[in-house]
Amino acid sequence: MKNGENYNVRTRRTFLKSISAGIILASIPTFFNACKEKVITFAIRLSGTNHILGHRLRTKDFPKISKTIEIPYLIIGGGISGLSAGRQFKKKGIEDFLILELESSAGGNSRNGENKYSKYPLGAHYLPLPNIHDKELVQFLEESQIITGYQEGFPIFDEEQLTFMPQERLFFKNTWQESLVPKFGITKTAEAEFNRFFEKMADYREKRGKDEKYIFDIPLASSSQDGNFDFLDKISMKEWLIHNKFISEELYQYVNYCCRDDFGLGIDFISSWAGIHYFASRKHNATKEKTENVLTWPEGNARLMNHLKEYSKDKIFTNHLVYETKLEGENVIVKAYDDFKKESVSIRAKKVIFATPQFINSYLLPDRLNITKDFHYAPWLLATMTVIDLDDNNSYPLCWDNVIYGAKGLGYIYNQHESLGQIQEKKVITYYYSFSTNDLKRSRKELLTKPEDYWKELIINDLKIAHPDIENVIQEIDIQRIGHGMISPVPGFLSGNSRAEASRAIENKIFFAHSDLSGISIFEEAFHQGINAVNKILE
Amino acid sequence: MAKNFLKFEYLLLFAVFIIATCGLIYELVAGTLASYLLGDSVKQFSFIIGVYLFSMGIGSFFAKFVKKNQLNTFVEIEILVGLIGGLSSVILFILFEKVDYFQFILYLLVFVTGCLVGLEIPLLMNILKEKVKFSDLVSNVFTFDYIGALLASVLFPLVLVPKFGVMKTSLFFGMINISVAIALCFLLSKDLKRPILLKFKAIFAFLVLIFTFLFSDQILSYSEQKLYGENIIFTKATPYQRIVLTHTKNDYKLYLNNNLQFSSADEYRYHEALVHPVMATAKNIENILVLGGGDGLAVREILKYKDVKNITLVDLDEGMTSLFASNTILKKFNHNSLTDSKVKVFNKDAFLWAKEEKNKYDVIIIDFPDPSNYSLGKLYSLNFYKSLKKIATPETVVVIQTTSPYFAPKSFWCINNTVKEIFPNADAYHVYVPSFGEWGYTIASNNSNTDFSKVSRKVGGLKYYDYQYKKLNFFPKDMIAKDIEINRLDNQILVRYFDEEWGKL
Repeated sequence: MKNGENYNVRTRRTFLKSISAGIILASIPTFFNACKEKVITFAIRLSGTNHILGHRLRTKDFPKISKTIEIPYLIIGGGISGLSAGRQFKKKGIEDFLILELESSAGGNSRNGENKYSKYPLGAHYLPLPNIHDKELVQFLEESQIITGYQEGFPIFDEEQLTFMPQERLFFKNTWQESLVPKFGITKTAEAEFNRFFEKMADYREKRGKDEKYIFDIPLASSSQDGNFDFLDKISMKEWLIHNKFISEELYQYVNYCCRDDFGLGIDFISSWAGIHYFASRKHNATKEKTENVLTWPEGNARLMNHLKEYSKDKIFTNHLVYETKLEGENVIVKAYDDFKKESVSIRAKKVIFATPQFINSYLLPDRLNITKDFHYAPWLLATMTVIDLDDNNSYPLCWDNVIYGAKGLGYIYNQHESLGQIQEKKVITYYYSFSTNDLKRSRKELLTKPEDYWKELIINDLKIAHPDIENVIQEIDIQRIGHGMISPVPGFLSGNSRAEASRAIENKIFFAHSDLSGISIFEEAFHQGINAVNKILE
Repeated sequence: MAKNFLKFEYLLLFAVFIIATCGLIYELVAGTLASYLLGDSVKQFSFIIGVYLFSMGIGSFFAKFVKKNQLNTFVEIEILVGLIGGLSSVILFILFEKVDYFQFILYLLVFVTGCLVGLEIPLLMNILKEKVKFSDLVSNVFTFDYIGALLASVLFPLVLVPKFGVMKTSLFFGMINISVAIALCFLLSKDLKRPILLKFKAIFAFLVLIFTFLFSDQILSYSEQKLYGENIIFTKATPYQRIVLTHTKNDYKLYLNNNLQFSSADEYRYHEALVHPVMATAKNIENILVLGGGDGLAVREILKYKDVKNITLVDLDEGMTSLFASNTILKKFNHNSLTDSKVKVFNKDAFLWAKEEKNKYDVIIIDFPDPSNYSLGKLYSLNFYKSLKKIATPETVVVIQTTSPYFAPKSFWCINNTVKEIFPNADAYHVYVPSFGEWGYTIASNNSNTDFSKVSRKVGGLKYYDYQYKKLNFFPKDMIAKDIEINRLDNQILVRYFDEEWGKL
């Protein structure tokens, strides 16, 4: 309709208090609440990466080989880098390759779950609009019908796959406001600091080295190599903020949030080069209006993963744990345990791509512990909740990304945000929590051993800040635990040698592709890692 | 002993006073409700008073047959009057939505209350006749009866309705009624037979009323009555919206989530302008699609064209379409359009439905709520019009209610420009609807040769539209906005424009 004069008038419920009714009125709600509290129980499930099978690498106690397979090209690991390698093989006209995946389905951190009401991510869940000079990625987005055409030289992104408005909100000082950067309730000094910070980032975004390459680009490998900005990798992001005379608490919180979001660890632990890369590597040059939007789907990056998977149809062996690799003459012998059939297989391949993280590779290849000790992985916890409703103070409507200032976690995603429908029967949200500590091993142990009630309490207390009645509306919680969630670029890692060493091919037979070799855990890096490994093989 | 007797007499006379007050209140409640709900207050009040007095007579007549346990019967009647009279307004409010025989129920309740009240006075006189001198008795009883009546008729319009609302007034007086019964039970315990059972009945009835009273806010929001400044005759909360129907004088207004949807006095302007230009100009009018418009008013206009074979109406809210298909008053507005054999109603989300739909339509009429939030904003997005295009033929003509070009020119032209991206041949027009103000529409077609002012067919009997399209599509300066962006799902710029423009008012 049609609104006329009554727009903006809000209904105020006033209660008539009559003498006798008052007393009863007052007692009724408490009576109902007492009943309600008793019946509130909700299903809670703990799941995660298959660490039990993975941890068998430590003992290597597997049955004898009962089958031998020969294949020219073998990819170990069916995450984004492995699937991207599969796509590249296919595009180069190569069909005889196989992918081995430990989990029961491919996808790595880009897998998804689904319940009665919605799909939801089990890890990565969005892709920022690509840099227009990232031709490979743009090409892939075209293949996947995410870019549907071009207008005035700019790609047209499918409207349904861009984040709908309203995109982001922040719960700050007891009220929601648009965008993750607080605009209301902060001091003039803080506001000026935010502006100064973003100006600095805009400068870095345009900066190029002597080789004419951007200092900060995606993939990282395309960034300038002239070393002039290596000093940024020697200090933490927090130190950088201090050196640059930033003092506002709100800015620190914001930058800390951004670092945890992309690297798992916060400003105390992340190198300032990486921290700045977060802000400066995306050039916002894919649209005429310099839009900073992102692409997202209810199932998160599982959408992109499935597009990649299309190229490796029937070539993915799931539930396969590789436990040994040996060079043998012209071949590489890879032994894997099929956890489904409970048998071991031996695969003879000409070229093998290890699309596996380095902490795994140290179990599969000799003498790598020294290389991999510099790779730090932040653990993550995701909790997908089905809620009856999500009441808050209506200060700004529910967004795709909802962040609570000062909370322990990173807020939550509204998974049905990309629905075209008007109303959802139940809402499905996914809460993200990264362990930002200096003892990641301990955090990982905690993640593995603490009972579900411990996590439930942590999540609920965190969300209660913005949704006081959250406990009463949750119907279901699915907790996904990821022990090695993402590579964390601590100071020295990006400018050091370990990435290059870990990436070096072995006897032109074993190649490496994984986002941890880039040093940051984003879709684009994994995507390029896969392509580059294949290109190296076919050189 | 004499003292005790005095107490007995005054107690019963006080009861008469209360009964009289309450009785008249119930009568006034019924009259008020009847005129709220059915209109024509003179007729309704006159009928109600007539029926009430008549039924009191019937009650009085039957009083002579009560010979035994007169005091017990008196208290029981007191309880019954309180319960029926007290709940009458609630029953009427609830049934109004559902039943066709509403008037029957209304008069039945008036009749039963009247009978019971009519029974009481003669009964009381019978009880007291041995104890008081007859002349004193008659004059005392009638004195209190008429004082009560005066009090009720003064309090009702001046205090009770404005302060409590109709529903709470009747419930409240039901409780007073029963309180008297409870008091009698306790004070006259010795004179009553089986006083405990009677006490139990009275207290139970009182609890029923108090419970209803407490939840009457849910049945009819008292606060909304104030908000609208009109008589609310019906409210309904569906999973999607709150439907409120109000009535003042000869005008019914329907609100969805506090936004005016139509006023019965001038909705014909809005709906004639929505439907007839597009029906007149379309090449074919066999298959018509209406999105939104669960009130059936647009369908009413479409049905005037005899060439129409099928009308598909897609409205999210089952509560809305079933209400307009079944309620007597509302059916009068839409001329039973929703139950017409040509009409198929789907209670689906229009966007999701359109994406799945395989049939094509000759005319598409869109009557969605204004884009006042991000959910509704999706229904005005580029992507939505893309999915519309898939169910349109090259000849299809589409019309879209496009909010007010006067109050919200940016919003208006934003929708128009967005439509134009998908249906290149698009135009706009507007009409004046007194209860809305200047209101506008976007009309569009795939075919660049479609001339919207061409009239291929006409129907007679329209009150406003005279098939002169050219009179409607001129926009003066104050209804024009420039540099307006396209509304996409990822920017929802329309919701911002809309909020900015309507928020100012």
